[in-house]
Parts: sequence; C-alpha cells; structure tokens
Amino acid sequence: MTASILDGIVLGLQFGVLATGLTLVYGLGGVLNLAYGQMAVISAMVVLLAMDAGVPLLAAVGLGLLAGGLLGLLLDVTILRPVYRLQGEARVLLSLLLSLGVAFIVDGFLNWRFPLRGLSLRVGGEAVEILGVRMRTGSLVASGITLLVLAVLFYLFRFTRLGRAIRSVIENEEGARLVGIDPHHMLRIILVLSGVLAAIVAVTRSMVAPVNVRAGFSITVLALIVTVVGGLGSISGAFLAGLVLGIINSIASAYIGTFLSLIILLVAAALTILIRPAGLLGVRE
Amino acid sequence: MSERFSRATGTSLVGGAESHTSRSLTAMLGTVAGMAAVLALFPLWLGDSRVLMGVAILGLAFASYAIGFNLIFGSTGQLFLCVGALAGVGGYSATILADRAGLPVLVSILAATLLAGVTGGLLSWIAVRRSLGVIFTGIVTLIFALSFENLLLGLSGVTGGDAGLQIGAGSGTFLREQIAPYYLMLALVVVFLIVHGLLRRSHVGWAFRALRDDEVAAELAGIDVARYRVYGALVGAAMLGMAGATYAFTAGRVSPTTFGFAQVDVVVIVMLAFGGIGTLLGPILGAVVFTAIDEVLIEFGQLRLLAYGVLIIVLFLWIRRGMIPTLRALIGRRGGPPNRRDTTAAHTPSTGPG
Amino acid sequence: MLEVAGLSAGYQGNDVVHELSFHVDEGETVMIIGSNGAGKTTLFRAICGLLPSSSGQVTFMGTDISALAAQRIVRLGIGFVPAERHLFPRMTVGEHLALGAYPHRPDPETMRVVLDLFPRLEERRRQVAGTMSGGEQQMLAVGRALMANPRLLVLDEPTTGLAPKLASEAYRALDVLRGQGLTILVAEQQVPLALAISDRGYVLENGVIGLDGTSEELAADPRVRAAYLGVT
Repeated sequence: MTASILDGIVLGLQFGVLATGLTLVYGLGGVLNLAYGQMAVISAMVVLLAMDAGVPLLAAVGLGLLAGGLLGLLLDVTILRPVYRLQGEARVLLSLLLSLGVAFIVDGFLNWRFPLRGLSLRVGGEAVEILGVRMRTGSLVASGITLLVLAVLFYLFRFTRLGRAIRSVIENEEGARLVGIDPHHMLRIILVLSGVLAAIVAVTRSMVAPVNVRAGFSITVLALIVTVVGGLGSISGAFLAGLVLGIINSIASAYIGTFLSLIILLVAAALTILIRPAGLLGVRE
Repeated sequence: MSERFSRATGTSLVGGAESHTSRSLTAMLGTVAGMAAVLALFPLWLGDSRVLMGVAILGLAFASYAIGFNLIFGSTGQLFLCVGALAGVGGYSATILADRAGLPVLVSILAATLLAGVTGGLLSWIAVRRSLGVIFTGIVTLIFALSFENLLLGLSGVTGGDAGLQIGAGSGTFLREQIAPYYLMLALVVVFLIVHGLLRRSHVGWAFRALRDDEVAAELAGIDVARYRVYGALVGAAMLGMAGATYAFTAGRVSPTTFGFAQVDVVVIVMLAFGGIGTLLGPILGAVVFTAIDEVLIEFGQLRLLAYGVLIIVLFLWIRRGMIPTLRALIGRRGGPPNRRDTTAAHTPSTGPG
Repeated sequence: MLEVAGLSAGYQGNDVVHELSFHVDEGETVMIIGSNGAGKTTLFRAICGLLPSSSGQVTFMGTDISALAAQRIVRLGIGFVPAERHLFPRMTVGEHLALGAYPHRPDPETMRVVLDLFPRLEERRRQVAGTMSGGEQQMLAVGRALMANPRLLVLDEPTTGLAPKLASEAYRALDVLRGQGLTILVAEQQVPLALAISDRGYVLENGVIGLDGTSEELAADPRVRAAYLGVT
C-alpha cells in the first residue's frame, strides 16, 4: 500500500504539471487545446531522435523542450486567429475542434513515421529506500524535477511582472486590457509555456515508464480529467487534483487493473462537473 | 445577455440552423425515396466483392449513426460525444442477450435499442438537470464514451476485452450474407430518415428548433426545454443503439474498436459537418462521401488520421455549415442561407403557445 | 485633446449611439449625463476600444484611435474606469496598483500620489479585491487607472452602487485630480455630483446628444432641471 501511495505521489506530481499546462490555456484564453498530448509526444520523439543521432542527453532534452514550445507557437499562429474572433462557448467549441484536427495531424504523422517507438530515459544509480519502499532513482529524479518546476512556476506567477500580467488576464480579460495588457500576446506566451510543460512531463515520465508514440490522446485525456477536477483555470487546483488522482490511480491500478482504474478517474471528473463544476479550487464564473 | 448569446452560437457555429420544413410532406418522402432508390442500386455495382459490400454496409451503419447524432446535436443542440458508445451499448447488449441469454435476434435488437435509448435519455436528463452547457455536456458524454470503452476492455470476462466477441446468433441467416444485410441497413436508414423528417415537421420539431436557436426565449415562450431535449436524445440514442445492434449481427463480431470514439465519433462528426448539421440528408451525403474517402485512405495506414485532421480543420474553418446548406445558398433555394431565427417556416404548429 | 466625430456604435448590428460628436479639451472636466439606456456606457466602451464602432472617428491628442484595441488606447494615455470596474477578484490591492502601471515599471511617486488620494487603499494593500466593499472597489478601480499616469481619465458612472457619503468622497477625489490638471470625462446619472466639478457637459438621450453647454448653462436649463435635478 505504501508503495502504491508513493508511486501515486510521483505520478500525481506529473499529473499536476501536466494539468497546469492545459488549465492555464483554458483559464487565460477560454481555449481548449486537445493537441496537448501530442505536444508531449512530439517532444519525446525529438529527444529520442536527438539521442539516436548522438546528441548528449541534456542537449537532447533541451531540444525536446524547444519542440514542445514551438508546437505551442504553431498552434497560436495557425488556429488561434479564427478562434479568437469568437467568444465564450463558441470559442471553446471551435478551439476544441481545430486543436483536435491538429492532434490528428501530428499523431498520424508521428505514428506513420516512427511507429512503435517510445522514449525511455534510464537514470542510473542505486535504488533508495523511503518509508520502507525501494524507489527507483528514475522516480526520484522525476519527482525532484517536477517539484523544481512547481517552485519555478510559483515564483513566476507570484512575484514577477509577467506572472502578474498572466494572472490578471485569467482573472478578468477586459480588466487586463484596461491596464494595457494584450490578452492574445499573453495567450501566446502561455501556449509556449504549456508546450514546454508538456515536454517536461514527457521527459520526466520517461524516467519512470516509457512514453510511447501512441500515448498522445491518453495524455490529453488524463490532463483533461485532472484539469476538470482541479478547476479550469486554477494552477493550485491542478496540483491538488493531480496528487489526489495520482494516488487514487496508483492504488486502484494495483487492485483492479488499469482499465477499470481509469474509469474511476473518468467518473471523478464527471462527478466534479455534475456536483461542483468549478472544481476543487476553480473560480466560479 | 452575452451569456445567452454565446449559448446559442454554440451550435450555429457548426451550422446547426438548418430547418426547411417549408418542404411538403410528399416532397420530403419523395426525396427520401429518391435517395433510397439511388443507394439501392449500389449492390449492382459492388455486389461481387464481399469486401466492398462490407464497406458499403458499414457505410450505411455510419449513415444511421450520423442521423442519430444529427437528431441529438443538430436538432436539440446537445453535443453528445458518445455516439460510438451508444451504438456500442446497442451492439454489445444485443450480442450478449442473443448469445448468452439465448433471446431471438429481433428481441435482442429491440431490447438493445431500448437500452441505448434510455442511456441517451438519461445522459440528456442529467445534462439538463445540471444545466450543463455545450462544452460540459461534451466532456461528460466523452467521459461516458471513454468509460464505456474501458469497461469493455476491463470486464473481459463478459465482453471479450480487447478481442471482442464472436457472435453466434444470426449466423446461417440472411444477416451474414453478402448483399441482403445491405438492404436491411438501408431500410433502417430510410426509417430513421422518415422518423427524423416527421419529427422536424411536427410540433416537436418546432420546439427543437426554438430551443436550439435560443434556449432562454424558448423557455420563456413556454417550451419545456428539458423535456424536448431528453426526447431528442432518447430517440437519437435509440437509433444509434438499433443501428449498432443490427450492424453487429451483420458483421458477426463486435470489439471495442467497432464502437470506439476515434473510430466512430470522429468520423460521424466529420460526416455530418460535411453534409450539413441539421439538414435531413446531410448525414447520408456525408456518409457516402466519407465512406468512399475512407476506403481510399485505408491504404495509407496512419496517414489516414492525418488526413482526417486536415479535413476537420478545413471543414470547420471554411465549409462551416456543411455542403448541403452551402450548395443551397449557391443555388439560391427558397429561403436562402438559413437565418439563426427561422422565420420562413410555412408550417405553423396547431398546438403550442400563441 | 479628445475629438469624437460622427461616432456610431452598438451591438449585433443595432446602433445604440448615433453619429455623436463632441470634444474634451486639455485640463477640462466634461460630463456626459443621461438616463439609463441613453447609451453612455456604449459610447465610452466604443471610445476606449472595448467595442467596435460602426462609423465615425475618435482622435486622441492627434492620433486616430477609432480602430485601436483597448490595450493600445490605454498605452496612449487614456485611463478608463468602466461601470463594471473589471477588477481582478483574487489579486491584492497592491497587485492591482502594480498592474495599473503595466506598460512601464510602477513609479513609486505615482504610487504615493494614488495612496495619498485613497488612504483606505494603503491600509488594505494586501487585501484581495474580491473581499472589498463596493466603495473600496471603486477607489481601487480609479487608483489602478491612475497608476499609468493617464492624460485623460474616463469614468463610467463611478457612483454606481455607492452610498451617498462614498459617492461624495469619490467626487472629492476627482476634484483633487482635476485641481492637479488631469483631464476628466465622466458619465454620470447623479447629475448634481458631476455638475459640481465639471466645466462642460453633454446630455445624451436615446443615443444622440440633445443638449450641451457649460455647467452653468446646463444647471440653469429648465429641461435639465426637470429631468435630472428633480426640479419642476
């Protein structure tokens, strides 16, 4: 049980970072990015190819992060223009459909070009014992990196001018305009950031379990579940929900298998929508 | 006020404003009959190839799915992203009833239809009770679809898991022949079209249009939005279940991929968006075109998904309302490009608020 | 400083204000008065870039701002305090004021001026906007707009939802700003308050300007007195 919980925490932290990318984009731009999982997969593939080509690990990872960010930029430049002409539900719907199209394009291409490939980063070192459970170094490094990212995000949003500006757009888009902030510009930054976050999740996850070229949509679904439970637009909600769901998923998988434990997560998201649509920490519209 | 506005634009975004009840009953039946006649000729051309007939039968199944989705989304504005799952509820329950419980095929199909219909109605009722907007309805139904898929995979004892189930019932009958099932599925399509067409022309259809275009105004005008939404979902889901069940018996097997989101919902959305959401024959046009396109694309393996991605983007950026409305607008049919608020309806309901 | 010529604007193709023309000179305080639905909010939103105009031109200090988006207009020197205030519910007073000066770095001098003008804001520097009272929120909205050192301050019904004492306090603050040379354009239903600090005014009714003149002229006009000052 302890092992499951610890694994759950490791997974939960990943969920948190993953959901943050999606929830920021929705909270700020009212846009649902269903190509999110593909951002993670593309980064993983870039890292893989770079390493195949002999590029050292750190540089390869850097390239992966760059790839994630670039896909975010591409999304902004291509499909966001028509999407931004709309408001409210229409905007979400169109962004959903167009990003789904992009997801298909990327997924189809990657699976055609690199079938069956997956990224797996081997992190050397002795297994460490925590609370009586042997944790692989991969899990620990992944968690460490995730916590670092969390700290950086926290600092960014709390204490920097840019972070404040981003938060203001999430709080009130018109209010942000009134202080001279361009919401579209901020969204572009957030999309790039979400791509980088997706890439980080892909890289850290690959230290624990292989990240497959086909994983795109599963990643998006997981991100969506955590985002919904945490509350659309709330970063702290994303992390809280991530941890809770990560632990639940871990324990459930151990006892009832992967398929059925995914159902538990799905149902959790559905219940959130039905009972408390704002999510755990979301802002009520 | 902007909230209400944006709620209405949800479906008009994808062209859900079609409503040509100005057509007379005979004209509608005539159009359906004409289309059925054309489709009935296909086996003359394809009948020799078992593979191609299989594709055609599947195409008709998709046409049925598209009609059902058209009713649920096009007519009542509910974004149900669980088309495949509802068809799957039909397909799997019919299979299990026929093979495990030994019920006759027809009874199994009817029971499956009922089950799917109730499921759809229930989903709609929940969405209505909790006032879920288009997006959340979409997410909740998507969750249902994914849960259903995972349930099929997880409860492999009952459902055959990944591999699915071979269907014993119905083998040796006309259901497994090469050409006969085509006409069975075609009959289903015709029945569904007539049902949809009649609904649209009735006061139910009038209520559908009102609540889809402007929910608040409809409510104020005395239309019980909740009830009509649930009716629409019930009938639409029943269609999906019946189509799924019937198709299952013609195919002889069911598996999670037969009714998966990526395999069914995505394709149906593309078909309907192409053909014209809310139109009567849009689903048929979309089904025919995309079954053909899909056959070609199968060659390309994974690139097929890429092609669909491009299609979705092109469709929702440019041919927003679908082919039928676009063509209509070009030809300048009576009524022209449909308005959000349809004032050209020649049919005035005999019941309803004054 | 601000020239509006033939401006029409509205929603969904229906114009609410029709071919309005007026101007605000530097250092003036101009009021736009009119009853509910007259179009004051529509007008201000169109001027400040939150609403597209259907026709006409708006010029600010020589620059044509008719087609500019709100964030650009704000950077040119117009501070807008909308009727809904549009504050950031979960952000603190301090963060609001810092954001107010977004295009540049927050200037300590300006901050000091704003805090002196609204001492209550200084007390509540760490308080989150969503938990503040209506009067405090109004102060914050104005303070935020002032942080950018605007040349022109535009306020849409700043006394909405405020108790009379707070409303007077708000106008006292505006008077101070006026004394410091700030150009002010204010839309107001509570006419006596606006009259007290305005140099000139326009009466907006059904989307057109019915009357205009200096404050004295308007205060003396029998129609104005009857409709807005409760004098028969």
